[in-house]
Amino acid sequence: MTGVVEAAGISKWYGEVLGLNGFSASFGPGITGLVGPNGAGKSTLFKLLIGQLHSDQGTLRLLGENPWNNVPVKRRLGYCPEHNTLYGWLTGQQFVEALLRLDGMPRSRAEKAAEDALKLVGLSSAAQRPTRTYSRGMRQRAKLAQALAHRPEILILDEPLSGADPLARVQILRTISDFAKAGGHVLMSTHVLYEIERVTNNIVLINNGKAIAAGDIHSIRALIDEHPHAVRLETPQPRQLAQALARMEHIVSLEIPEEDALLVRTRKPDAFYRELPAIVADTRLEVRSLESPDDSLDAVFRYLVG
Amino acid sequence: MLVETKNLTKVFGEVRAVDDLSVAIPEGAIGLVGPNGAGKTTFLRLLLSLLQPTAGTAKVLGRNILDGVPLRERIGYMPEHDCLIPDMTGVGLVAFMGRVSGLDADSAIGRAHDVLQFVGVEEERYRKVAEYSTGMKQKVKLAQSMVHDPQLYIFDEPTTGLDPRGRTEMLDLVRAIASSPGRNVILSSHLLPDVETICKYVVILDGGHQIAAGDLHDLLTGAADRLRIDIRGDREAFVQRLREAGLEAEAGPTGVHVGRRPGVEAEVFQAAKALGAEVRYMGREIRSLEEFFLELVARNEGKGA
Amino acid sequence: MSISLPTYTRREMPLLGRRHRVRAIITTGLRREFKRPAVLVVIGIGVGVTIISSIVIVLFAGVFLQGQPLDLSFFFTPASNGAILFFVTLMASVVGSALIADDLQSMALTLYLSRPITEGDYLAAKAAILAPMISMIAVFPLVLTPLVAALLGSFSWTIAVEAIGLSFLIGSLFTAFYTAATLALSSLTRRKSYAAAGVFALTFGLTIPAGILAGPPFNNPAVLYASPWENYLAVARAAFGAPSAPIDWRWSLAILLVATAIAALATYLRMKFVEVVSG
Repeated sequence: MTGVVEAAGISKWYGEVLGLNGFSASFGPGITGLVGPNGAGKSTLFKLLIGQLHSDQGTLRLLGENPWNNVPVKRRLGYCPEHNTLYGWLTGQQFVEALLRLDGMPRSRAEKAAEDALKLVGLSSAAQRPTRTYSRGMRQRAKLAQALAHRPEILILDEPLSGADPLARVQILRTISDFAKAGGHVLMSTHVLYEIERVTNNIVLINNGKAIAAGDIHSIRALIDEHPHAVRLETPQPRQLAQALARMEHIVSLEIPEEDALLVRTRKPDAFYRELPAIVADTRLEVRSLESPDDSLDAVFRYLVG
Repeated sequence: MLVETKNLTKVFGEVRAVDDLSVAIPEGAIGLVGPNGAGKTTFLRLLLSLLQPTAGTAKVLGRNILDGVPLRERIGYMPEHDCLIPDMTGVGLVAFMGRVSGLDADSAIGRAHDVLQFVGVEEERYRKVAEYSTGMKQKVKLAQSMVHDPQLYIFDEPTTGLDPRGRTEMLDLVRAIASSPGRNVILSSHLLPDVETICKYVVILDGGHQIAAGDLHDLLTGAADRLRIDIRGDREAFVQRLREAGLEAEAGPTGVHVGRRPGVEAEVFQAAKALGAEVRYMGREIRSLEEFFLELVARNEGKGA
Repeated sequence: MSISLPTYTRREMPLLGRRHRVRAIITTGLRREFKRPAVLVVIGIGVGVTIISSIVIVLFAGVFLQGQPLDLSFFFTPASNGAILFFVTLMASVVGSALIADDLQSMALTLYLSRPITEGDYLAAKAAILAPMISMIAVFPLVLTPLVAALLGSFSWTIAVEAIGLSFLIGSLFTAFYTAATLALSSLTRRKSYAAAGVFALTFGLTIPAGILAGPPFNNPAVLYASPWENYLAVARAAFGAPSAPIDWRWSLAILLVATAIAALATYLRMKFVEVVSG
């Protein structure tokens, strides 16, 4: 299967400073979250993808093409940079329109397309205001509008949520989800891990210029062997339940952190979840709640990046 | 009461940033939430006595906010934006701020080292702030708010710009401060799940008004006590089976919701066993602060229009 | 046996009063200035040049200034030394222009104002950093000259003591004006280079055109009131009893005092209302 983005051994150096160092990953379609610590190489990857930088080593394909110096592929992508400075004297409408005209769109169509894009991100009411009066959430949405306006196939969004208030966050995430539902691809980075999890399970984890994991969060989590999967069960009979569960071969430890809870650590979470209903149902033990504090992007990030 | 205001108003030209606000905020860990332009920053600056109210009165820690100096002796403020003096060292800056708060020179240095240790600025403390990473700067900003050991901490978006590790560390520090006895925290943040994990009480502002306030747990536990289940397998059949067992069940985007009654959990596991499905999550359904917030703001806008 | 968990220890000591807090800003600020090479160079050259030229004037008074009576009015000559104007301007722009502008640029002003001090305390501290630096050039050499003159026996101690007192007063007046004006300029911008340019404009942009317009062929001495330096000279002439100035010293004194007060007030108001918080 070929991904929307195919990267094989890409390296990019800024003199001695590391940008990317043998980054290989294949991802898409749909929404992919790019997560990693500061300085991991996220922005470098974005700039390579939009053709602003040329990699020193390796091959990169975006929508099957080499993005470097490739104008046709730029028409097919929309990009939101991280920084939040716009041309403050332009209105939202003028800003999006001007960028569309750079795309080669005639004035009459650009006006309409800008209006549509601003409506999509919920900025219609502020479209005629100069962007310097915008709050940060509104700036983020104006940037998203200009990325969307020429109807690209893939959106590349660098921290599209930072500084946005809760209303703007919801609007932005909804716009992104709708775009993906309509068949578009999205690559977005964010530092707030639970926001990624709300729109996708597919992530690329990047650290020190390398992709250290790519794919479904839960599958990645299952691959991390050295940290057995923890599941917390709330039950009035933790000792009896522990006894019943101890028969499972993949259980690593059973712990009673409180008198009405049982903490199970298992090496094979899938097997555990598959077998658990039968054991609970057959022993007629009471289990009031079940949660895994461990099966999240946050846990994956913690275990793989530290 | 930590903060008590009566008809507090602050007008900038035509804009009523804080509009006839009367609140009574108890001591503890307080979340301050609202959309942009809700008046949060103005409210915080009024509490710090950096702005004079146009009308109304307010008391913070039992003191009138017009008191300024004695009030600020008891408050530690961490602004959202950059504010550090770039050519000072981390420890030099924190100690300096301690002295400007009234510590003598020797105690200030001692306190500076203590709080920098606490926030996790190690050897870097002897380097100039200008060379620090974002995470390190944020920690120094936190440390300077702690140096005079205030009773009230005001944190304005403390996790802005931090990467996942930095965020976790910062939230842990805020939580540690909030849980120390006799120390109060007002946390203003756009990241509502963060507020949810740290604060016990929230104040929601919109358009300069308080649109809701209260104990977080009470606000979010609705009357409908339901169970949320995340199921892997045949969801439709699972819901069907629960309904056959006489339960109110429906599938939603966040999982299967089941009305609660004694023995409901056993039915869930029975159904899962029969279908060979996996129960990945089962727990009490609580509205998230975000859902609550969005509902409220939408309702408030409806009223205003 | 005991365990101390790594938490921040509580502060046990009481807080010192506001005077100490302001003093902390002053000492920290002065220490920073004295570490900056540019400041040390200005101090070294500025103080050196003004003192040496003043003492040379005293030593060779008989040679250079024939006809100049060796009484109190003699001390107008060192006070009117053009090097003072030049180095005061240089000092004000090197030290003073950054004092508030840098805090606006880094937004550290929020940090200061969130501490238990007032805007007035902050400004007083900043003025107390700048004033000693300026007075090293505007006051110190003027006070030193009569002292040296008396020690050398060129003047009687009565005249010298009187000259010291007057020098101190007029030097302080000039220092106060430049301190207030520089801080006002510094509070208006986030860029210290703009404030520094403003200080130079204030000095030379007013003094040189005023000097030209006052002389032939324009002969319009009233424009000299526009120049802080000419006003200072008029006051100094009157103080030392030197031949009278083309402009009235009373007006000059009033202009300097009022300008100082207005600059100080403007800075205070700017501090009070400056919007340091970003969106």
